[in-house]
Amino acid sequence: MKKRVNVNRRGFLKSLAAATAIGTAGALNVPRTAEAGEGKLATLIDLTRCNGCVDKESPACVSACKKIKAGSLPEPVDPIPVPFPTRKVEDWSKKKEVAHRLTPYNLIYVQQAQVDADGGPKTLFIPRRCMHCDNPACATLCPFAANHKFENGAVVIDPETCFGGAKCQTLCPWQIPQRQSGIGVYLKVMPTMMGNGIMVKCDLCTDLLKEGKTPACIEACPQKAMSIGPRSEIYARAEALAAKIGGYIYGKTENGGTSTLYVSAVPFDKLDAVVHRGPGEPGLGAVKRRMAGTDGMGKAVLAAPVIGIAAGVAGAFAALSKRKDRLKKEKR
Amino acid sequence: MSEYINEEKNRVARHGALELAEHWALALSGLALLLSGLFELPMAARFKITSLPGFGWSGDFIVSLSIHYIASVVFIAAAAFHLVYHGLLQERGLLPQEGDLKASVEVVKTFFGKGEEPPFAKYLPEQRLAYVGMAFIIAVVIITGLVKTYKNVYAPDLSHGLVLWATWLHNIFFVLFILAFAGHIGAIVLKPNRPMVRGIFTGSVRLDYAARRHPLWLAQLDASAPALAVEAVEALESGETAAVMTEEGSANGADDAPGETPGDTARPAATKDER
Repeated sequence: MKKRVNVNRRGFLKSLAAATAIGTAGALNVPRTAEAGEGKLATLIDLTRCNGCVDKESPACVSACKKIKAGSLPEPVDPIPVPFPTRKVEDWSKKKEVAHRLTPYNLIYVQQAQVDADGGPKTLFIPRRCMHCDNPACATLCPFAANHKFENGAVVIDPETCFGGAKCQTLCPWQIPQRQSGIGVYLKVMPTMMGNGIMVKCDLCTDLLKEGKTPACIEACPQKAMSIGPRSEIYARAEALAAKIGGYIYGKTENGGTSTLYVSAVPFDKLDAVVHRGPGEPGLGAVKRRMAGTDGMGKAVLAAPVIGIAAGVAGAFAALSKRKDRLKKEKR
Repeated sequence: MSEYINEEKNRVARHGALELAEHWALALSGLALLLSGLFELPMAARFKITSLPGFGWSGDFIVSLSIHYIASVVFIAAAAFHLVYHGLLQERGLLPQEGDLKASVEVVKTFFGKGEEPPFAKYLPEQRLAYVGMAFIIAVVIITGLVKTYKNVYAPDLSHGLVLWATWLHNIFFVLFILAFAGHIGAIVLKPNRPMVRGIFTGSVRLDYAARRHPLWLAQLDASAPALAVEAVEALESGETAAVMTEEGSANGADDAPGETPGDTARPAATKDER
């Protein structure tokens, strides 16, 4: 009986392996806009160093990001199709210069927090962008796999396959991804009925990472407030820094863990209380990974084939022995 | 024994409790998967489904994911059980046989008044073809769904190529599943098939209907059945059955329960004592 189970289970696993092989082979022909780099990476944002580049017209990180991403989005069609029934068009193409919040053309901005620290008022500057979460629902639940978490830790949206439905924005606890209507593949399908543009957010300059270079914002920071490196090293540095200044870390446990660690001398709940929040302006509060509540059910789903096979084998043998008994009786 | 004839009540048992349970487990969990799958698309809020009474949850992707997962456990376990249980018992009556495609074309022609239906076994040839089609769709949806679930729980950074394949195949076969489901329901709605519908609710169909349309099945069910079958075939040849069928319905069947105890598998006939 046990042997039978193994045979069937093996058969199932063979099927799964075949599907995996097909998928992997097919992947060679799938055009991608981002590739995973080597090893798991993480970034550290040291708020004790960031001064918001107050002496400059715009923070260096913001300028560098705008410069490297300039022209990466095509101009939207004119007129932009009006989606049914919401009639909500989001067009930032004529406001590309906006830098005080996240937009499809501004993937990082510097938030300000006025706090009382060390006996006096103080302004903290907080560069904000995608946190590149460890298990991001924005990516895993994307219905078209347009948003994906790569092995290097970067969470990247493929503009070629994104429909702009904004599910990722709804699922993100910080509502980071921003929509630009009038561009993207949805225009070729049913532009008024399905989709509404593409979602855009920081991709950790994944193309630069692939070339062994540093993301533009990190490279540009004159204060060296941001750094990137192997995840274990960055985590250790963040812990050491927090311990040294008696400070706090944000991003280590938030939303189940992220690849972005902020270190601050001021508690993050205090910062959360004073930063300006709104669309494209995320908070700094405690965030639980909501999808964690479904993981147990997901594990049950993965066990379901085994449960079904075991029940099938047990049921079949019960039916066979019943049939045997009946035949014996009939013989008598 | 799930199949037997009850002449007094004019009934013939077509599906056992286990087969009914399999069918309804798959059907109800499939329906829940279909709905919750649709709501995983960002459509509920956009199309104001969330404002419908009782559908406030439809815009919450985590809630619909939970429903999708719970329904998946039932759906996958039932499908795996079906495959293994009936496979081990070698019950193959729902698998296509040689000539089913040609026979199906002939049967479809009868819908339009061309020709007459041949005598059937327990299942119609197009039912057997539809079964394999549906099984294939379900297999793809399950395998790709398992890959997606594994990614969600254990490996969010699974190979993007594999995730793309699993996601798009899941989406495409989800659409095919909806079409197959609609076709299945469409077959039930057809008036000629209605005598079969009670079978998937109660387990039995009318004996006179079965004698007219499934004489080959009855012939293998009971010692008394061959007489019924011969009568039915004779009536068919003389044109009487065609007249009766027009009255009662003669299109393709719609009660293809997942479980199957085929007429072409040698089985001892049931006696009334066993009922």
